Amino acid sequence: MNAAYQFVTGPLAWAAWGIFLLGSAYRLISMYQLAKAKDPTAIAYMSWHFSLRSIINWLIPFNALGWRKSPAMTIATFAFHACLFLTPIFLVAHVLLWDQAFGVSYATIPDGAADIMTLVVIAACLYFAGRRLVQPEVRYITTPQDWLALIIVLAPFLTGFLAYHQAIDYDAMIILHVVAGEIMLAAIPFTRLSHMVFAVFTRAYMGSEFGGVRHARDW
Amino acid sequence: MGIADRLIEDVGLRRGVSRLTPEIIEKTVNAVISGETGARLKAYAETCMRCGLCAQACHFSLSHPGDPSYTPAGKVQQTMSVLLKTGGRVDPDFIYGMAQLAYTECNLCRRCVHYCPIGIDTGYIMSTVRRICHKLGVTPQYIQDTAHSHSATFNQMWVKDDEWTDTLMWQEDEARDEFPDIRIPLDKEGADIYYSVIAPEPKFRTQLIYQAAAIMHMAGVDWTMPSEPGWDNSDMCMFTGDFEMMGRLKRKHFESAQKLKVKRIVMGECGHAFRSIYDMGNRAVGWKMPPVPVIHSIEFFWELMQQGKIKLVKKYPGPVTVHDPCNVVRGRGLHEKLRELVNFLVEGGIVETASNREHNLCCTAGGGVINCGPPFKNVRVAGSKAKAEELRATGVKTIVAPCHNCHGGLEDTVHSYKLGMEIKFLGDIIYECMEKPEV
Amino acid sequence: MKRTLPLLLSAALILAFAQAAMSQQDIKSLAPQAFGKLTRPAAQFNHEQHNEKAGLTDCVVCHHGGADGKIDKSASTEGTPCADCHKVKAEGKNTSLMNAYHKQCIGCHKAKGKGPLACGQCHKR
Repeated sequence: MNAAYQFVTGPLAWAAWGIFLLGSAYRLISMYQLAKAKDPTAIAYMSWHFSLRSIINWLIPFNALGWRKSPAMTIATFAFHACLFLTPIFLVAHVLLWDQAFGVSYATIPDGAADIMTLVVIAACLYFAGRRLVQPEVRYITTPQDWLALIIVLAPFLTGFLAYHQAIDYDAMIILHVVAGEIMLAAIPFTRLSHMVFAVFTRAYMGSEFGGVRHARDW
Repeated sequence: MGIADRLIEDVGLRRGVSRLTPEIIEKTVNAVISGETGARLKAYAETCMRCGLCAQACHFSLSHPGDPSYTPAGKVQQTMSVLLKTGGRVDPDFIYGMAQLAYTECNLCRRCVHYCPIGIDTGYIMSTVRRICHKLGVTPQYIQDTAHSHSATFNQMWVKDDEWTDTLMWQEDEARDEFPDIRIPLDKEGADIYYSVIAPEPKFRTQLIYQAAAIMHMAGVDWTMPSEPGWDNSDMCMFTGDFEMMGRLKRKHFESAQKLKVKRIVMGECGHAFRSIYDMGNRAVGWKMPPVPVIHSIEFFWELMQQGKIKLVKKYPGPVTVHDPCNVVRGRGLHEKLRELVNFLVEGGIVETASNREHNLCCTAGGGVINCGPPFKNVRVAGSKAKAEELRATGVKTIVAPCHNCHGGLEDTVHSYKLGMEIKFLGDIIYECMEKPEV
Repeated sequence: MKRTLPLLLSAALILAFAQAAMSQQDIKSLAPQAFGKLTRPAAQFNHEQHNEKAGLTDCVVCHHGGADGKIDKSASTEGTPCADCHKVKAEGKNTSLMNAYHKQCIGCHKAKGKGPLACGQCHKR
């Protein structure tokens, strides 16, 4: 147990963060190089003002037409993404690990709230899975990659929830949880989760074209 | 469910596909994908989370509820996704379906932009699919004929050079009954306005030229029209995927205006031509923005109204509804000016359709779809069911639609769904209601 | 009178040791009052069993002295509550109380290759 735990929280954690950060940087840089070489007619229109205008307008729930027309999905996806980011970053146990390892400490959220937020992520994942199975327009376009992305994200939250409540074999669960979290980090640059890295740019480009050239809203 | 279940026989598609081999397909697909696309397509293909939110954006999918093969992401799934996944190793039959889908079941209207949180431009993806089809020589016969005409004559309708000037002089002559001193000034150097039209106007909608001349005349505008090729601002090559010709057409058009040293180009009530001149064609020749300022008729008429140069003797009996053409609304944000103008022209105001302004539902004719001709008319009309329902709900008798393609499409929609509505250009209404000389 | 002072002193010492010895055996978990309301269940810690298992006889291994953030392994501080030096909110260079426990336990367990490391292994529900 000790050797395994030390391995997954030591070398494996470094590897996961390394793959996540370096991989994301590599993907971004190579994408930028590609854009410079092949999409100069897109880059030429990029505008900070209209990029931010578009991003901000899409970050407001029910602001864009698409959000308004799918209220359940809007609630699910906003709750999902908020909890997905806030829970692991501000979880007491995680912050303590940063503190022990690097002496870095910052604000935390109460465990009770984190518990609910974890359930929100799990519930949203189940909702997304349900849409993929039941809603024809989603089912039609769902690929194995989409399931993979969903499972990769669900795993750390599900195992984290079980580990926190020490429901099933804690020792095994905590290692599973750490590994699941590391898989998620490492998968970000190389799976559908890469939208975390790229979406801001696709959004910004659309905002720039619609704002700067077409003088119309893109939300 | 999918395009393979609804193939329609088209001579152009069939002949194109008959010449294909898997080797040609693979080579061409990859030549376009690696040679002409880059980060945009890659990012779009990778980051689309397949959430399906875009399903509610597309009039085709709204008109076919429960059939996901008509949704924007569903259309990409059946075309570009397959090409990317297989590396272009698909058979000629696949190309037939892909071409039919890309040319006749997507109007490139970009309404899905308002539904995609990530900002994926499905119109761009479908344009790229069309580009591949063009390079493969698999294009619907009717639209390809217009593209051939562009290549041979620099206009869309095989209008001969002498027929063009002849038509203008004929319209000038006709108009003199009503406006004794009217001129359609040809090649007037240094004019304020260079008025350009699409080739269907001299071909079969000459009354639009007549009306434009009448409005210009009564407003006292310093204007001209070119006698040489370059006068046609339309661009079906943009829609077939012939981007080389798209560039040549726009270069010709702008250079024609530059040669006459005009201040601005005003274009008739056309949507797609505006997209070509203002957005796509200029880029194909390397102009970030049009080298000669270009304004659409909506904006031009709006300016005349602001300057008090449109004098009405009556208002057009309304209420009316407004159809927002995607290429000048999502493409140029002219929706408010359009409404100010319509409110100025019409008695009884505007009854909006449920989807309006940037969020308009497409007429289902744009993007070259109506230009694919009779074989695909039924598909097009079926796809406009959602639009028809929105129009019916307004309860009005008149649709103001400042775009030729929208007109063509809406005429079929109004007829097929028995809406009993008339469709008007702004020019129609201005001409009918404006002050005319006593003759 | 001269004899009573040493007598009292030694009595007090004996009493103190006896008390310490008594409470040592009673320790089943670590929940110093200084923490107030606990975030997680108290860390389970049986002082006698732990020392027996770990083969600890020297108190200073855990009950170290020191000041200004430096550990002094020569000054044994058994009997002095941890919270006397390690405040809940870190003061000066001294480690905070929670971190002191965490570092003390986990650090040693890591070094020795045995004993609990993950949260739930001590903070059992």
